[in-house]
Amino acid sequence: MANTDWPGCGKSLKGVILDMCGVLYDSGEGGGVAITGSIEAVKKLKASDLQLRFCTNETQLNREAFVDKLKRLGFDISVSEVFSPAPAAVAVLKERGFRPHLLVYDGLLPEFDSVDKTNPNCVVIGDAAEKFTYQNLNEAFRVLIGLEKPVLFSLGGGRYYKEGDGLALDVGAYMKALEYACDLKAEVVGKPSPTFFQSVLNDMGLQPHEALMIGDDLVNDVGGAQNCGMKGLQVRTGKYRPSDERHSTVTADGTVDDLAQAVDMILKQRH
Amino acid sequence: MAGRRALKAVLIDLSGTLHIEDTAVPGAQDALNRLRQASVDVKFVTNTTKESKRSLVERLQRLDFHVQEKEIFTSLSAARSLVERNQLRPLLLVEDSALEDFTGIDTSEPNAVVIGLSPDHFNYQTLNQAFRMVLEGAPLIAIHKARYYKRADGLALGPGPFVAGLEFAADCRATVVGKPEKCFFTQALSDLGCSPTEAVMIGDDARDDVGGAQNTGMLGILVRTGKYREGDEDNINPPPHLTCDSFPEAVAHILKNLL
Repeated sequence: MANTDWPGCGKSLKGVILDMCGVLYDSGEGGGVAITGSIEAVKKLKASDLQLRFCTNETQLNREAFVDKLKRLGFDISVSEVFSPAPAAVAVLKERGFRPHLLVYDGLLPEFDSVDKTNPNCVVIGDAAEKFTYQNLNEAFRVLIGLEKPVLFSLGGGRYYKEGDGLALDVGAYMKALEYACDLKAEVVGKPSPTFFQSVLNDMGLQPHEALMIGDDLVNDVGGAQNCGMKGLQVRTGKYRPSDERHSTVTADGTVDDLAQAVDMILKQRH
Repeated sequence: MAGRRALKAVLIDLSGTLHIEDTAVPGAQDALNRLRQASVDVKFVTNTTKESKRSLVERLQRLDFHVQEKEIFTSLSAARSLVERNQLRPLLLVEDSALEDFTGIDTSEPNAVVIGLSPDHFNYQTLNQAFRMVLEGAPLIAIHKARYYKRADGLALGPGPFVAGLEFAADCRATVVGKPEKCFFTQALSDLGCSPTEAVMIGDDARDDVGGAQNTGMLGILVRTGKYREGDEDNINPPPHLTCDSFPEAVAHILKNLL
């Protein structure tokens, strides 16, 4: 019987999904910096027989601009390999006839060009960072409280991420704030939503057990992937904190120092 | 009233109970004077995140209520006493107008977060600073957790959503110090040397005033003024000891039946 534990599962894998921020690079001034060894690790995966996709909850830039940023950092990556919440949200809005009030970072706005935003009947929030002012949140709140049936979409539901030398609140904190204010439950588009992971698996044509997710966010990357039947590996980079290894509800299938070590261990199983 | 002891104290809510904005509830001043002639202590209790005791007293005096600063206990007082008891150095996310109630508190190298309603402080930078502190284990103290409130230009977010966001992000629970928390009522009574079973609370908020007081063991009287909406008395269990039209009627009931 095939070994399904980490790192033995590396032998039977068919695809790998990589989180981006905190795995490939650390965000910060001037677009951030690549994490040591990660550029080379992506090259090695691409040279292997494994399928590779990137799955991010990045919502500060549209995909084109985001991929350009990673290319400048030295990564070999293209737009079609990247899955992010905004395009998924646009599909949901159109399918269900929603006209959003947007509280997102300016850089993300182009993703919503094709969506009707007049007379809004829902609110979409992304990681708006410094645009999360009291006034902007209040505007979103008033749209919601004025609707007969308030609907809030959140592009990702993360608690926090690493920004420069400190941690910063992610969109999930503001999603919770609006949920509490309006006594509603938001619909999360992006990680850890199973629909989001499934769309990546579909694109690779793989079953969940054939794929491995690597991320720095224990709950959203690792836990989210595991909920879909994938293996989830956590790296000790980005927002990783030692207490993650004693988490009450999520246990990673494996924990590695960084992406470089993860890739070397996977590829060693396959030789 | 089996098992209850003689009434020793009356706690009275301010906004919505004694006055609505800058207008006194009709007859409320005289009713308060009548209550003061009886052998009970009186204390004024309110959830506020921006008004200092001094500014509350000034407003009440303008409306001809005889009230002293030491008779007022607010959610800011409750936060201050918690900070003092635990010798914390708070990062104060409150409006400048509330800062005077924290005079003398050491706020250097903060090791706790006190959060009220403070639109000026609710920005990405400051909330991140508060979040990082709480994630590293600093206690999060919420003045109260109201979802929203009514402003001249419409509804506006209260402190509650920001507290909820920080709780979620740092995976922690805030200590809420205002009404309807039990510790708020017991602290308000503590310097009167009286137990909850010897006290009654009068207010216009079924959940925060009456429900909170009754959960603490006090009697609660709901008045149909201020934010009261038809049927509010049916939304709490147990129901109020009494629901009546306004503060003067509540005082008449106390003088006639509870002393």
